[in-house]
Amino acid sequence: MASSSRESSARSNKKGFPRDTVVLHQIGRGKYAPSISPFPIKLETYLRFANIPYVSVHGTKTSSKGKIPWIEFNGEVVNDTSFIIDFLNKKFNVDLNSHLSPTDRAIARAFQKMVEENLFWSLVYSRWFDKQTKFETLAPNSFIYTWVIATYLKNGAKKNMHGHGIGRHSKEEIYHIAEKDIRALSVFLGDKCFLFGDEPCEEDCAVFGLLSQFVWQSPATPQEALVKGDCKNLEEYCYRMKERFWPDWEQCILGDRELRSFIECPDTDPSVMKKEDKE
Amino acid sequence: MLIKRLRKIVKGSAKLRPKYQRQGATVVYAKDIVILCGVIRWMDIPCFLSPFPLKLETYLKFANIPYKVALGKGRGESPKDKIPWIEYNGLKIGDSSLIIEFLNEEFNIDLNKNLNPTEKAIGRAFQKMVEENMFWGHAHWLFCHNHEDWPNVGRVLGTYLKYLDFPMTGRRVKGYIHGHGIGRHTEQELYAIVEKDLRAICTFLGEKKFLFGDEPCEYDCAIFGQLAQLLWCPFPGSPQQILIKGDLKNLEEYCYRMKERFWPDWEQCILGDKVPIASFDICNPADPHILKEK
Repeated sequence: MASSSRESSARSNKKGFPRDTVVLHQIGRGKYAPSISPFPIKLETYLRFANIPYVSVHGTKTSSKGKIPWIEFNGEVVNDTSFIIDFLNKKFNVDLNSHLSPTDRAIARAFQKMVEENLFWSLVYSRWFDKQTKFETLAPNSFIYTWVIATYLKNGAKKNMHGHGIGRHSKEEIYHIAEKDIRALSVFLGDKCFLFGDEPCEEDCAVFGLLSQFVWQSPATPQEALVKGDCKNLEEYCYRMKERFWPDWEQCILGDRELRSFIECPDTDPSVMKKEDKE
Repeated sequence: MLIKRLRKIVKGSAKLRPKYQRQGATVVYAKDIVILCGVIRWMDIPCFLSPFPLKLETYLKFANIPYKVALGKGRGESPKDKIPWIEYNGLKIGDSSLIIEFLNEEFNIDLNKNLNPTEKAIGRAFQKMVEENMFWGHAHWLFCHNHEDWPNVGRVLGTYLKYLDFPMTGRRVKGYIHGHGIGRHTEQELYAIVEKDLRAICTFLGEKKFLFGDEPCEYDCAIFGQLAQLLWCPFPGSPQQILIKGDLKNLEEYCYRMKERFWPDWEQCILGDKVPIASFDICNPADPHILKEK
């Protein structure tokens, strides 16, 4: 099926990427979570959950749609996390939702979409447009570098938010919408271990990807206060997912070191492609 | 003199107006009646193009809130440059979800009282999926899809709408979809995403009468708003319409059920075949909800 999500990249074979291994392109590790963006975490958690072999390549190269993360697999380039997951499910014959009924799968999709299309924008807002959050603590120390990147990203984010519609709301309204979403998630999760009982499902990766940003990388935001306060079961859920799928969490994060740029990864990152992996 | 005129134009522009929820309305039409703005009556559906005015009007009927529709008030005076919006006792409020919250508080309404907290959470998730994800598939079909027989597509639109308004709106909507992110996909990918959403709603609805059983709730208004636009689309033949009328027949039956329950005056509100469309502020003479200015 010809689509712009999948392109054949004849050049990728020349880079010597290993065969039958997913090459995951991301933008570096975060300070307190494996990425600054929720989508690479979602995808990497999925890859670990499905036991799919993968290596990470950190850089600024975005997909043909201008977004990250994206993958290459045996010369084929796939964009957009949802399409990547569908593609890999087919290639590796994986069904992480096999224990769910059709109704549960429908509900899972609804929650994933609510988190990715609605709650996500409040994260963008709290980082770039809210002066009271302390996002600069996660940024590199170089003032000019940060200012240039931040201005570039901010303008893009402002246009995107305005196009989406949520950028037209005031600050209180955006946080009010986010609060209702977080409370809905919290109520649905309740006392369960994961979204649908004792075993995680595919959509847990997406929800974890976004909530991990609130728990670890949103200093002084109302969402963090909510997730660690009233909706504490969401924080416990994040720790549960972290223990289950990220036993090497400490090796994947940058920690308290001073950052030189946004695209950095620690030497201890186990998923980064080494020279001996190359063909 | 010229500078004063320029300042007036600039200040009057909706985009530069400060973004706060409630603005003062210029004229107070009637006390304690919601004036619904941004609604366009059409030939076969009471609210043209956008699912949100239909969602809001269905909610107003469900909650038995007295309201009147002010035709001719479009995006120009809207507080957030979007439709629908309302004027109520001297306040202008935008965004259908925020309007519903405001009216719930004002009139002390809870349409979800039969639901337990988990069901409310699930309902919200479905509403957000429909409004934030599926909505763009519909917008894409209306404005960005290359209709091969554009002059004959759908019903007669009128020269202004066909050649000026729709292309202009199309350019704006293309920008919105691209900003959202979903517009970067190809058409097939976008429709595949929307199809999955439709199938999810179909599976969840199953054989129930409404989303959560035999009685409708607030979330039914949102889902109905979107599905009705797909079913009674001015440009028939969209992949979503084919799905709803084919594989996902329970969604079509659900729409007709909501229409019978909340829109007994559907035929009086729509324009029907006889009226030629030339502008957006015409209505059926039998429409009981139109605001007649004194």
